Amino acid sequence: MKTTKIKFDFVSSATLDEKPRNVRINFILNRVKDGTILVTDGVLKPEEEIDLIKETMRRVDDGFPGIEVASLKKPTKGMQNVLEKMVDSKERVQNLIAGLTGQSFEKTSMRTGLTLIGPARFIKKVKKNPNSFSVLTEV
Amino acid sequence: MAIRNLNFFDWFLALFGMKKTVRLGIYGSVNTGKTTLANRISKDWTGQEVGKVSPIPHETRFVQKKEKIHIKHKGKNLTINLLDMPGLATKIDYRQFLKYGMSKKAARQRAKEATDGVIEAIKWLNNVDTVLAVMDATQDPLTQVNVTLLGNLEARRIPVIIVANKIDKKRAKPDAIRDAFPQYPVVEVSALKGKNIEHLYEAIAKHSKGG
Repeated sequence: MKTTKIKFDFVSSATLDEKPRNVRINFILNRVKDGTILVTDGVLKPEEEIDLIKETMRRVDDGFPGIEVASLKKPTKGMQNVLEKMVDSKERVQNLIAGLTGQSFEKTSMRTGLTLIGPARFIKKVKKNPNSFSVLTEV
Repeated sequence: MAIRNLNFFDWFLALFGMKKTVRLGIYGSVNTGKTTLANRISKDWTGQEVGKVSPIPHETRFVQKKEKIHIKHKGKNLTINLLDMPGLATKIDYRQFLKYGMSKKAARQRAKEATDGVIEAIKWLNNVDTVLAVMDATQDPLTQVNVTLLGNLEARRIPVIIVANKIDKKRAKPDAIRDAFPQYPVVEVSALKGKNIEHLYEAIAKHSKGG
C-alpha cells in the first residue's frame, strides 16, 4: 500500500508575531505550498486573512489549487475588547510612523485563538462550529 | 450591529436633501447566487440584466457594474451603482471545470481568470459603500470565506446586509445563517423566484450609507 506523508508544523504565535505582515504571509504560504499543514495558537486579523487569500490567489497553479483555513478566536468581552482596540490603535500609529519614515515594517499582533492553514489538495473539508472545527484530509 | 457610520460628508448631503449614489457591492462565496440577485435587482428597476448565470463555478470572473439604478421604497429614493463581484474563494482548481466538459486549456484559462477575479473583488472592498453578503441558505454558513468577509467589512466600517438566498429550495435553512451571524441584519430571499425581494429593498434603503 502506498503511503503519503503529511507534515504538520506547529508554530507559536510569538514566532509569527515577530514578523512583519508581508513576511508572515510569505512564511505561511511557503510552507503550505510545500504541502505542510501549519497550526498556530493565534488568529490572523481579518485584514490579514484577506491579504492571505489575495496572496494565495497569486500563487495558484496546477500543483497548488489554494488553501483551506480554519480558525477559532477566543471570545473577548468588556475590558479585553477595549485592550484589543487599544493595541490595534497603537499598531496603526506605529505603522503610520514607520510608513512616513520610509520603513516597510508593518506589524500586526495576532489575536488569541487557534488557526490551521493547509493545502487544499490535502484538506478536503473543514467543518466549523462556533467553538470547534474538524478537518477532513485525503491523500 | 455593523450598521453605523454616517460621516460628515454623508451627514452634510443628507442635511440638504442631496442624494449620494451608493456603491452597492454584492459579495459572497462562489455559486451563492450573486449574479442572479444582481440581475433581479437590475431587472426590477431598469429592465436589464447585469450578467450571465451558469451552474459552472466562477462564471463571474470580472466585476460587473450596472450604474444609476433608482430604487424607490416607501417614499425613499436611492440611487445605486450595483457591483456584482466575482465569488470569493481560498482555492481554485482548474480540474473542477473539466467535469463540465471543458478542455484543459479552457479550464486553466477559467481558473486563471477566476483567481484574478478574487483579487479584484478584494481590492474593490476599498470602494464600496454598502455590501450585500450573499449566502446560500442550503449550505453551512460558517465558512472561513464568510467569516473573513464579514470581519473585513466590520473592520472597514462598511454597512452589510446578509442575504440568505435560495430559500425556494427545500433544504434551505436561513435560520442557520441568523444563528451563525446574530449581529448582522439578515434578509431571506429567493433571487431566482423574486421571493421576499421587497424586504431586501427595504433593508437597502434603511441601511445604505448616503441614502
